[in-house]
Amino acid sequence: MMRTAETMQRVKDIILIAALTLLIAAVLVLACGASPAEAMQLFIQGIFRNRQSVAEIFVKACPLILTGVGCAVAFQAGFFNIGAEGQFYLGALVGTAVSLSLPLQGPVNILLALVCGFLAGGLLALIAALLKSTFNISEIIVTIMLNYIVINFLGYAVRTFLKDPEGNVPQSAKIDPASQLLPIITSTRFHAGILIAIIAALIMWFLMSRTTIGYELKAVGFNQRAAQVGGISVAKNIIRCAFLSGGLAGIAGVIEVIAIQKKLLEGISASCGYTAVLIALIAGNHPLGALIAALIYATVQVGTGSMQRQLGVPNAIVNILIGAVVLLILGRKLLHLETYGFLKRKKEAK
Amino acid sequence: MEEILRMEHITKRFGEFYANRDINLSVLKGEVHTLLGENGAGKSTLMNILFGLYQPSGGQIFLHGKPVAIDSPATAVKLGIGMVHQHFMLVEAMTVFENIILGDRNTKGIFIDRNARRKEILELSERYNLDVELDKPITEIAVGAQQRVEILKALYRGAELLVLDEPTAALTDIEVEGLFRIMKKLVGEGKSIIFISHKMREVMQISDRITILRAGETVRTVERGETTGEELAGLMIGRELAPSHYAKVTKPGAAVVSLHDVDYQKKSKHNGLNGVTLEVGRGEILGIAGVDGNGQSQLAQLVTGVIAPEGGSVDMKGSRVATFSPNGFILENVSHIPEDRNKMGLIGNMSVMENILLKETGDPRFSDAGGWHLKRKAMRTYAEQMQQKYDIRCTSVAQESRNLSGGNQQKVILARELENHPDLLVAVHPTRGLDIGATRFVHDTMISARDAGCGVLLISADFDEILEMSDRIIVIFEGKIMGEYPGSNPPIDQISLAMAGK
Repeated sequence: MMRTAETMQRVKDIILIAALTLLIAAVLVLACGASPAEAMQLFIQGIFRNRQSVAEIFVKACPLILTGVGCAVAFQAGFFNIGAEGQFYLGALVGTAVSLSLPLQGPVNILLALVCGFLAGGLLALIAALLKSTFNISEIIVTIMLNYIVINFLGYAVRTFLKDPEGNVPQSAKIDPASQLLPIITSTRFHAGILIAIIAALIMWFLMSRTTIGYELKAVGFNQRAAQVGGISVAKNIIRCAFLSGGLAGIAGVIEVIAIQKKLLEGISASCGYTAVLIALIAGNHPLGALIAALIYATVQVGTGSMQRQLGVPNAIVNILIGAVVLLILGRKLLHLETYGFLKRKKEAK
Repeated sequence: MEEILRMEHITKRFGEFYANRDINLSVLKGEVHTLLGENGAGKSTLMNILFGLYQPSGGQIFLHGKPVAIDSPATAVKLGIGMVHQHFMLVEAMTVFENIILGDRNTKGIFIDRNARRKEILELSERYNLDVELDKPITEIAVGAQQRVEILKALYRGAELLVLDEPTAALTDIEVEGLFRIMKKLVGEGKSIIFISHKMREVMQISDRITILRAGETVRTVERGETTGEELAGLMIGRELAPSHYAKVTKPGAAVVSLHDVDYQKKSKHNGLNGVTLEVGRGEILGIAGVDGNGQSQLAQLVTGVIAPEGGSVDMKGSRVATFSPNGFILENVSHIPEDRNKMGLIGNMSVMENILLKETGDPRFSDAGGWHLKRKAMRTYAEQMQQKYDIRCTSVAQESRNLSGGNQQKVILARELENHPDLLVAVHPTRGLDIGATRFVHDTMISARDAGCGVLLISADFDEILEMSDRIIVIFEGKIMGEYPGSNPPIDQISLAMAGK
């Protein structure tokens, strides 16, 4: 009985949040002097224009899926990894270095770049996990600080040891075409890395819901003390989830280099490591939820891209809307108007 | 003498549970009035009502003879009531002076007239001998000094009636003497004090009158001169002894666990153990009696591996324990019903099923592929069997355990801890907050575990429970063992005295 009431409430919340988000979008579009109806039409056209545009959704979603699922796993275990951005960059950097320095090109090169990127991201997150589990230092602060270090280290790397010797701009040499993740659907940018991201999300879902590892991670995340008294090692699980979470972000970085940019350069993440935090929040830390949330986010991005080109409605609207959605989700209880005292009294008076 | 406070027929209900029922309390000007009672007797609820943190379900409060409605702590302060909480409410990084004037609205615009405030505080501090260093940050002063800051803070806000909630709990003996001098000075100057404590010696030393609460009701108010510590202990605990439902065991089996001269934070009177030697045998229930906060939590954590002793040794089934970890003790087949089921016993956001299997997921019955992959079907079937066997009332075993009633939550823990026939069961306040039916169920289950050969260490602040269940009784006070008594026909007078530290 109670369960159905809760589900009903949740459905009501979702509809209300969607409606309010659309309303905010309409207001923003109107404020640019455009017609919301026309904008909506262009938005949908932009998404379903052709196979390139649909493929583009997956291209944009790929790094968000990996980092978002990574954050979701960490948050579920009570480890607030805000460092996906830094882990992404370190993954990209190490992946590039491995790819460029290996003599042999081809699938082995790709595999090694991905594995090393995973390890790099995972080890970076491990620093925060060790500091948390031994000295109880806030992982939030540590991961944020590590972001700055790594982002700037990448800037340093592309100007020095990783700089393309034949160019003048701060970026690395090009990845050998044989070691790139090439499109697997012709005339689109849909690359094999997208499959890796989706498979990673499925594996994480399986891990969290069907294995003892996920079970222990969740137990530690929900109630550390009870998990400890129940014989589960808190430190071990914090380290585990941090490593997984950082590793996923690291893979995202490698894929961005070897599938999309084909070289390492600054600003390569497009802040997806921070968007990932929001994706995980919207998904309620569920790995498959993060997969879906990342796809929706990318869809909206592609749609508004078309609005920007044809109507001059700035693309920045996406981030305004995402911000609004997160606030609406976190503050959803404020939307339950029936709980407000003054409204209740009025009703009773009638 | 003039009556400053009168609380009449105060009742506070939480659902079906009465935390306070028809309580009457009268405090005179210039007296130290003690509220005496065990944990859960309703002292804190009553004081939270007085301070506006709770609204009473019934009854009336009078201050200086006039009825008042105290709807918030701000109102309480305005009416001249000051509260010093057991856990101090101080901003640690700020200085003493800043803490005292914190929240004082009597300022000129956005500026603080520091000199005038300072003068005022110094006057107060001299008048009541409340010696504090105004410019030191809170972190740098001792606990006793922090308490003086709290008292000064209350006086600075114009308190006429001070509530001191277990003020001696964190103090050393010398600091307690200092506090008592200050209290005498305060009442000498016409202030009134409500003193909350369950330490008989202190109560007899400082009180003018004493009101005893038991199970949410007023037992009696007595003058200090007309009573003795023994009588108070009896009134507080409730003397009538109902015959136990259970047959007592007089000859326990071999020792499951034995502690030899165990120390843990020996200097702390409330969170330590000092030279504790005891033994739990197979098939017996050893009851640890004592007022809460005399080392019971530490004892429980020690025999379940959560903390390690700083001195002495622990033998488990005849062999010395080298490393202390919860998992190590679980592997030794030690079960634990922790004192706080929500914080330590259950993972509220996880299902009944997941909680029942918290310690078992690696077992081949519930996971394969080397203890890696969960067998969800087997888990569910087992959890449903347990739901039947332990009569856990939930919509399904997938329900989150936080949505269960306290009694059903405790049954989930019992199912987890007792189903594997433990060698040692450590049960801490196992029936706290449960209704009679659930309490009986928990007790019956523990007795059958005992009869199956499990050694049981029962730690409870509920004296009736100790008498009902224990085959042997040990009294603990300030981390030390005060004495050991038989479980059949226990000498109640001696035990109550021992619990009061005599």
